[in-house]
Amino acid sequence: MTWTALLALAVVVGMAPLIPGIAAKTKARLAGRRGAPVLQLYRDLARLWGKGVVYSRVTTWVFRMGPVVAVATAALAACLLPLDGRRALITFSGDFVAFASLLALGRFALVLAAWDTGSSFEGMGASREVTVASFAEPALFLAFVALVLATDSLSLGGALGGPLVQAWPAATPALAMVTASLFLVLLAEGARVPVDDPATHLELTMIHEVMVLDHSGPDLAMILLGHALKMTLFAALLIGAILPRASLAPLPAIGVLVAGLIVVAVAVGVVESVMARLRLTHVPQFLTAASALAALGVILLLVA
Amino acid sequence: MIPFFAGLATIVVAGLAAAVFRRRPTLADRAFRGLIVLGAVAAAWPAVRVLAGGAAVEVRLRAAVPGGDWVFGIDPLAAFFLIAILLVGAASACYGAAYLAPEAGHRPVAVVHLLTALEVASLALLVAARSVIPFLMAWELMAILAYFLVVFESERDEVRRAGLIYLVSTHTGTLALIAMFAFWGQLGGTLTFDALAAAAPAGIGAALIFTLALFGFGFKAGLVPLHFWLPGAHAAAPTHVSALMSGVLIKMGIYGLLRVAQLAGAPPAWWGWLVLCLGLASGVLGVLWALTQHDLKRLLAYHSVENIGIILIGLGIGALGAHFDAPVLAAIGFGGAVLHTLNHALFKSLLFLGAGAVQRATGTRVIDRLGGLARRMPLTWTAFLIGSVAIVGLPPLNGFVSEWLIYQGLLRSAHLAPIRAALFAAAGLALIGALALACFAKVGGAVFLGQARTAPARDGREAGAGLLIPMFVLAAACVAIGGAPVLAVGPALRVGAMIGGVGAAGAAAAVGPALGRISLLALLLATLAGGLWWWRTRVLARRTRGVAETWACGYARPNPRMQYTAASFAAPLAAAYGQVAGVEVVRQPASFHTRPRELVLDHLAIPFWSRVRGWAVRLHPIQHGRLWAYILYLLGTLLLLLLYLALQTGGARP
Repeated sequence: MTWTALLALAVVVGMAPLIPGIAAKTKARLAGRRGAPVLQLYRDLARLWGKGVVYSRVTTWVFRMGPVVAVATAALAACLLPLDGRRALITFSGDFVAFASLLALGRFALVLAAWDTGSSFEGMGASREVTVASFAEPALFLAFVALVLATDSLSLGGALGGPLVQAWPAATPALAMVTASLFLVLLAEGARVPVDDPATHLELTMIHEVMVLDHSGPDLAMILLGHALKMTLFAALLIGAILPRASLAPLPAIGVLVAGLIVVAVAVGVVESVMARLRLTHVPQFLTAASALAALGVILLLVA
Repeated sequence: MIPFFAGLATIVVAGLAAAVFRRRPTLADRAFRGLIVLGAVAAAWPAVRVLAGGAAVEVRLRAAVPGGDWVFGIDPLAAFFLIAILLVGAASACYGAAYLAPEAGHRPVAVVHLLTALEVASLALLVAARSVIPFLMAWELMAILAYFLVVFESERDEVRRAGLIYLVSTHTGTLALIAMFAFWGQLGGTLTFDALAAAAPAGIGAALIFTLALFGFGFKAGLVPLHFWLPGAHAAAPTHVSALMSGVLIKMGIYGLLRVAQLAGAPPAWWGWLVLCLGLASGVLGVLWALTQHDLKRLLAYHSVENIGIILIGLGIGALGAHFDAPVLAAIGFGGAVLHTLNHALFKSLLFLGAGAVQRATGTRVIDRLGGLARRMPLTWTAFLIGSVAIVGLPPLNGFVSEWLIYQGLLRSAHLAPIRAALFAAAGLALIGALALACFAKVGGAVFLGQARTAPARDGREAGAGLLIPMFVLAAACVAIGGAPVLAVGPALRVGAMIGGVGAAGAAAAVGPALGRISLLALLLATLAGGLWWWRTRVLARRTRGVAETWACGYARPNPRMQYTAASFAAPLAAAYGQVAGVEVVRQPASFHTRPRELVLDHLAIPFWSRVRGWAVRLHPIQHGRLWAYILYLLGTLLLLLLYLALQTGGARP
């Protein structure tokens, strides 16, 4: 039934703000600090939603539209993933492309919103954001290609929801490379170390954060929610690839997803603790490595 | 076929009316626009009927010249291109009437309207031609008319140069086409397309035909490395002519390739791979050059190179599918190519028309001298934004639909062992998409958002209805195909199947169910974003709303010159990919510029042409203007021909 898919969607959207919280908590603990509560982002969202807004004189409706589109596209992209392990709410042949394009539309809206402020800081952030995305996107599509090859299915729902279980034993090295690549893409798209640092306080070194510098109140809340949701989606995609749950009943499958999301969040926190962020000029190399990993996975699957 | 020819005649009459009544501008204007639209609707009517499933129509004329009958017909392939030509042609011509009106006093604008109308008619004739002689005549007419349109502002040096490069390039391509048809025609008997199809050779003959076609038609399409004429010509022409050229004229190269693929049967495998690789190269390089280009029209022209690349990726997949007997793949690949051709015609001409409105309002098309136009030109901005989202290939607009179809072809190559390597092209297409997003974020942001960087940008006024209506007609078509892809994908697949010589049922069954979901996605996106917007507005109505300066890290008086520029926005991408693309970076203490290098033009084409010219100069002595010598040449030639005939027939009387 689709109600389990709906339930899974609600769970994922509901726990999206938890993911950055867990990552931050892990990082704090590993550094010997107590850190902010894991539920901090929920509090921030509630607080921001209750506030007023400040708009720059320069901005137009494009600035206000950015956060709305970012949240809407991330929520719709979530509908394309088989979150309960077997079916997605919307699934069709080639929906890989729709998944990536919806997230790209969200990015386009935020980048235009950044331009709308006329701020050189936000322009700089937007410029870096699209640069990083141009390296992450091919890696993501190569991972999709590997999933198509491994499962012979042309939709996210079909590839992650079913035959991937049978594919793993035969193609373990290839799929391991692909999941590693997906993790690197998650770090880039989630704006985490080593690509970006969510904890930095210097505008000149930021990427994603500086792009949304001028947003305030409910607009900022939407951006934070949309961003957390996007990161959670990539984590869910990763878990879908590592732990195909089609053989489980829907409710345990959702349970496994929740546990998996928490593990991924901890992993992100661990990466942030043991690595420094890369110089901006080295980010392309890092993400090219992600593409190369996925491409190797595809080659292995082609040869097999 | 009668409505078709009547429609074309009406379009020609529209052009004549603009020229004849040039002393009475209001009348000329009304007659021109009214007749163009009327003619386009009439000529498109048979095409729509063919695409809706009607039988193909054909008319055969006895010709008085050698080469067989003159056949004109509308089959699904021609119909698809006709619709793009007539829609974009009518929109551009109507726009042109308003766009050139301010120059009526000191330039022969009526001639431009006449030439534009003739150009649209010759394009339509070209796709309707079903035998070689009328095809080549229409091809040449189209090329020459476009030349006169490009050199409209011929007092500028760069316009004359661009026109000359265009003229030489198009004729180089035409030579290859004449060679191809001459070789192919002597295998058959007559020069009708049916006879060519019946005489389609295999092996080395097929290789020759496909190579010449790729060169000749590729020149027109502007694929890398034959693209060098394109940015200059597009930037030099008046804007509505650029829209027509970029939207449909260069697509005639794609039409030619598809027609040859249909007539000559399944292309060889190497040709499919070659087209696929050239498509990837054109796509990636085109968008990289566009990123580092900061003249609005040249930038859009480079995006045409990019989109031709995307179309060729689909074409390559279709060719490979046809070669390896995979009907679904052939139909999806070719279908994706024709659909993206139509879509690109719509959104690229829309973007050019938007760029023209900006140029009219501000007098410049240098991106870094603009800014903040969204406030003063909200409607132009809305239309331009629709075009941008469409060209980047984002849902819910038409660019997404055709790119999705081409991705379908790429992903489905997984099922066909010999061409599975084509899967890697998906990563290339993803890279193209991400870079296009960066580029149109750059254009939209730097031109329309933020603050005006110069006084002309500050004083820009919204364009008039004469410019806006054609833009919104094209934008509406983009939205319609994006929201209801079932309108366009079905016919595109039928065309694709026809080119591949396969049935369309398999492909329609393979992608058909997805079309409804794409519509649903578009609807949900609109609902969700609209709902959130409404909720947010309601919430904010009860909150305080402050107005302040843009945050500049505590600096209290930010000014327009402190904004990020298009050049700096593209700088990280130029640094990362510049070496691949051949980008020139000019870095000075207080300025930073990038521009694409014209590698092929400067290092290959122009040196080659100068060499040819050097040889030609040596022939000067025989051209000295003395009449007796010319008569001698004539006599000599005649004698040689007679001698040839005599030897040919072995002395016997023919």
